[in-house]
Amino acid sequence: MPAPSRDLRLDFFRGLALIFIFVDHIPENILSYFTIQAVEFFDAAEVFIFISGYTAALVYGQTLVSQGTLYATARILGRAWQLYVAHIFLFVMFIAEVSYTVTTFNNPMYNDEMRVGDFLYEPHVAIVKALLLEFQPTFLDILPLYILLLVAFPAVLLGLRSRPLIVLVPSFMLYLIVQATNLSVPAYPEGHVWYFNPLAWQFVFIAGAALGFPWRHERRWSRWVRPVLPLAVSVVAAGFIIKLSWTIHGIWDSFPGLLLKELWPVNKNNLSPIRVIPFFAAVAVVAIAVPANSSILRSRAARPLVLCGQQSLEIFCLGILLSALGHFVLSEYDSPISTQLLVNLAGILVMCLTAGMLDWYKTMGRAQPPRFAAAQSGRGNRLGK
Amino acid sequence: MRWRVSAGGLAQPALLAAGLALTVLPGFSSAFGGELPCDVPDELMQVDDKLPHLAERLRAEQPVRIVAIGGASTTGLAAGSSDLSYPHRLQEILTRWYPSSSITVVNRGVPRQTARQMLERFPTDVIPEDPVLVIWETGTTDAVRGVGVDEFAATLQTGIDELKAHGIDIMLVDLQFSHSTTTVIDFEQYLNALHRVGDVNDVTVFPRFEMMRYWSEQNVFNFDGVAKDERASLAAKVYECIAGKLAEVIRVALR
Repeated sequence: MPAPSRDLRLDFFRGLALIFIFVDHIPENILSYFTIQAVEFFDAAEVFIFISGYTAALVYGQTLVSQGTLYATARILGRAWQLYVAHIFLFVMFIAEVSYTVTTFNNPMYNDEMRVGDFLYEPHVAIVKALLLEFQPTFLDILPLYILLLVAFPAVLLGLRSRPLIVLVPSFMLYLIVQATNLSVPAYPEGHVWYFNPLAWQFVFIAGAALGFPWRHERRWSRWVRPVLPLAVSVVAAGFIIKLSWTIHGIWDSFPGLLLKELWPVNKNNLSPIRVIPFFAAVAVVAIAVPANSSILRSRAARPLVLCGQQSLEIFCLGILLSALGHFVLSEYDSPISTQLLVNLAGILVMCLTAGMLDWYKTMGRAQPPRFAAAQSGRGNRLGK
Repeated sequence: MRWRVSAGGLAQPALLAAGLALTVLPGFSSAFGGELPCDVPDELMQVDDKLPHLAERLRAEQPVRIVAIGGASTTGLAAGSSDLSYPHRLQEILTRWYPSSSITVVNRGVPRQTARQMLERFPTDVIPEDPVLVIWETGTTDAVRGVGVDEFAATLQTGIDELKAHGIDIMLVDLQFSHSTTTVIDFEQYLNALHRVGDVNDVTVFPRFEMMRYWSEQNVFNFDGVAKDERASLAAKVYECIAGKLAEVIRVALR
């Protein structure tokens, strides 16, 4: 849904996040040493959720202002439904792949452990749990979060319209409660929880929404950001040095992992402050360092990423399927570095080409209606006579 | 403590070279006559951490109790009998190497358990045995079930803290490898978490996954196309190799 004066940074960085999500979801992938999670405490998930919140507020905020609450709500729920259908589609693909592997499996040393693929033993329960978003196999955990956040979004928008703090304060309080009490949302099978705890992750989405909402009097966020910029830069730099040292330590043992014993593991489920603080610092730094009218964003080189970011739902789903396929190829056959790079390259190429094709298709679709309408009204006139 | 090289691509050139060297050795692939072909590349046998309490017991020639807690592969059921499990084999080997101490390896394997479920068994199955060393084989079920990897790491940390508080030495045994499951399940993040927990706690992690992968790639143990009744004896051979390598690692850690 590209708006006319769209901030290309949103598309560019969301596109980049989608590429990173694809790369990071392929295990034992050399390229994952070059994504954001290798050098910062946060990863593409924060970027994706934050920008999704920002664009949702931007787009549906305009709808809310110009076309009213009811229509804005309908559009948001329509989008949530679209995501839901996409999620169920991915789920079916995933189940097909796993069921096939597990049922044709004949290694006695492993049979017992593979039997925990619970859904094969109680498919009637598992399917219902999937429909309720309670069953979230690996890879299929971020869309349920996004769906839930969108379902709650009409209320968030209404709150934002009246006063941002009405939304931001409770959102932050909820985040703090999760940090203090480990409050989580149960999932299936029993004992599991939502991988992305929505009670914690909502904060990133809502913070994005507060920044993205189209206020009548434009708020100069940069006025707030500039004074804290040195601090933000130091937080990002410190995160970079520490996380990079961990990554190098992982490959090469004698390189020291700075503060590894003190800080690891950094909790992702509940969005540990160690993740979220460097993330917001990075948002501030990027917002100042990359202006919205930056010529880089309009360059041909950036175009594929911008397109991926604009077609985010389709490209996200495609990326997840391609990761599973890449994982399969790399573990089924030899996986020297050259093959790994080839698999990454092929996947990224398919994602970018698909984004380009979708963009073309949708642009054509938008260009078509007037002529069609004219032709139809002409015929209507004739019939009327 | 050596952390697992997580990009297969980085570890593989060395492994492949070692593999090529082994396969050209005459008689190596004629598999099971006589010596078991358990060899693995040297990188997989690096040990940087010590087992001080076990070393002390053996030096004093006192009786030694070791508890092996884990999942299905600890029980040894795939081989047909607990006498063919890796803990029992380990007891045989260690008894041979350290004849002056009476060595018992207690098998506390229960199939299909997550690390959390094993941790819950510590007060009943592990601590009362008064072990000097606990070998904790875990992670496979967590990966198959998709337990949150942070939660998995936190569970391991709690378990290690508990054992250390009792003055017990610890070794971790990482996940089982099987070719076809690696195509659908992301084991890497669980392996990384397990090895990093070992790293930050100075606890040796026995790299079973990489060893089994190596054997699979070398076609030493391959379950594809093996008749049903032969699979159990093949499993027994894998467990025997695991026990042998584990015993070697323990011996190095005692030095």
